[in-house]
Amino acid sequence: MSSTFYEFFCPVKVIAGKAALEHIPYELAGLGGKRPMIITDKGVRAAGLLEPVIAACEESDLDIASVYDDVPPDSSKAVVRDIAGVYRQEKCDAIIAVGGGSAIDTAKAVNILVSEGGDDIAAYAGAGVLKRPLKPFFVVPTTAGTGSEVTAVAVIADTEKSVKLPFTSSFLLPNAAIIDPRMTLTLPPHITAATAMDALTHATEAFTCMAKNPLSDAYATAAVKKISHSLLAVMDNPKDTDGRLELAQASTMAGIAFSNSMVGLVHALGHATGAICHLPHGLCMSIYMPYVLEYNLETIREPLGELLLYLDGPEAYAATPANRRAEAAISAIRRLRDALYKKCQLPRTLKETGKVDESQLDDIAALALDDGSIMFNPREASLEDARAVLQKAWA
Amino acid sequence: MLARRLQPMASQARRLYVELIFQVMGNALQAISEIDEDVQNEARALPEGFLFEMMVMPHGASLVIEHLGNGRFRYHGSEAPRPVNLSIQFKHIAHAFLVLSFQEKTSVAFANDRMLVDGDIGYAVRMTRILNRLEAFILPRLLARRAVKEYPRNLHLPEKLLNATRIYLKVASQFFDTVRA
Ligand SMILES: [Fe+2]
Repeated sequence: MSSTFYEFFCPVKVIAGKAALEHIPYELAGLGGKRPMIITDKGVRAAGLLEPVIAACEESDLDIASVYDDVPPDSSKAVVRDIAGVYRQEKCDAIIAVGGGSAIDTAKAVNILVSEGGDDIAAYAGAGVLKRPLKPFFVVPTTAGTGSEVTAVAVIADTEKSVKLPFTSSFLLPNAAIIDPRMTLTLPPHITAATAMDALTHATEAFTCMAKNPLSDAYATAAVKKISHSLLAVMDNPKDTDGRLELAQASTMAGIAFSNSMVGLVHALGHATGAICHLPHGLCMSIYMPYVLEYNLETIREPLGELLLYLDGPEAYAATPANRRAEAAISAIRRLRDALYKKCQLPRTLKETGKVDESQLDDIAALALDDGSIMFNPREASLEDARAVLQKAWA
Repeated sequence: MLARRLQPMASQARRLYVELIFQVMGNALQAISEIDEDVQNEARALPEGFLFEMMVMPHGASLVIEHLGNGRFRYHGSEAPRPVNLSIQFKHIAHAFLVLSFQEKTSVAFANDRMLVDGDIGYAVRMTRILNRLEAFILPRLLARRAVKEYPRNLHLPEKLLNATRIYLKVASQFFDTVRA
């Protein structure tokens, strides 16, 4: 599907590579930040990932005014309010999020409250509510998958009403994303695998769904190439700094691609599965990707075939006749999943997860139909279609 | 305002066309919700009294629909009786014209950032599916192919002819009612 019109936007400064963390003090000073607050979670602290961040700042006489390290995996309104309280009490003037999707989303929401005032984040829910820039905000991702460091969205749970509050505004984007390979060096194998598959899905869906455009295509293909090149190498050698950096950059690039081109049915099914069965997001992506690509096949034959070049390299691409490339691309993704299953038992079907009951498939299908991502899937998926894909992904 | 003086006819025709199509769609949506099971099933998930609006920014034509419950819609013309629950807003009359003259699919228009959603995304997804089904019903097949992502498989010609006629009839009669009122 060619795009006759598109928009592309990514104002986030990307600071990537060795000793990237050491750029934080200089960059923050440029924005007038003197008393940053770090927002992170217990896992990041336990993995010893805060030390290099804090050391990098203190060596440049930038004192961290406060560290909040208790962000839960599913952040809520109350957590956001509490952190905003600490921020005000400690007279902070900037935020550094260190973590994965939840810490980053929480920090985005905290930034709304401390910039705009008030205690109830729900008042700012929705699209386009924010009208001006927020406080200086940096993100240091510690997983290579979500791409949250370059997305203009945050989701926070309203536990009283048991709904998820979405926040959308370009002002949520951080001023800078700091990609330092030290931050992902200690990720355990199954998280490395699942988050990389999330990034691969972002790139693949951005490249094959309805809102694809030439600029996001460039980011998507580059991300696919980096992931298929480095993922298995990193699985074999977790301390491979160069490979880690490749995966981290790929995640950011895939994030830039999908935040401009959106995602499709893999994500719609994945969000629904996460909500009902509490499976990790990246794992859902890895499970559903080949089945959804097969479902979409006839509408995405051309772009999917093109991805073979980045998934499998120029020799395989050249050796495959043009009309078989789309199928070959799906096979390449299946091979990658098989390899990950061998290396860290990353499940390939819902049954292999041991956490889903076949009787839940109807509910997952119904919920997926209400997910925003389904709007951009190239095929109009009906309830029966979604159910059929789930059945294929069952075992 | 300069452009309007330069091209008064084209701009006004586009405006009138968008207003007219909003009226046809509003009436057809109400009619289709009385006879089509698929639309009713989709609509049932909406809360009772749910108000849906489609409008052209900054304060152009609009279409307001209420879910009365049990999958039935009522067309409210262009004025909402109270604040709406979900609003789909075209950024410019030109974008509304592209979509409503079936040159750009609704889903493509979303993908192309032609319009904004204010409200629950899940409901917006549902309303888009309902609008797609509506378009498949009221448009000739060729035109409908261009307007919707996938032509519904369960919309066979006899059924389509039959239903489309019924809808056109209902639309027509409701139009006369509106004119008389
Ligand atoms: Fe994702």
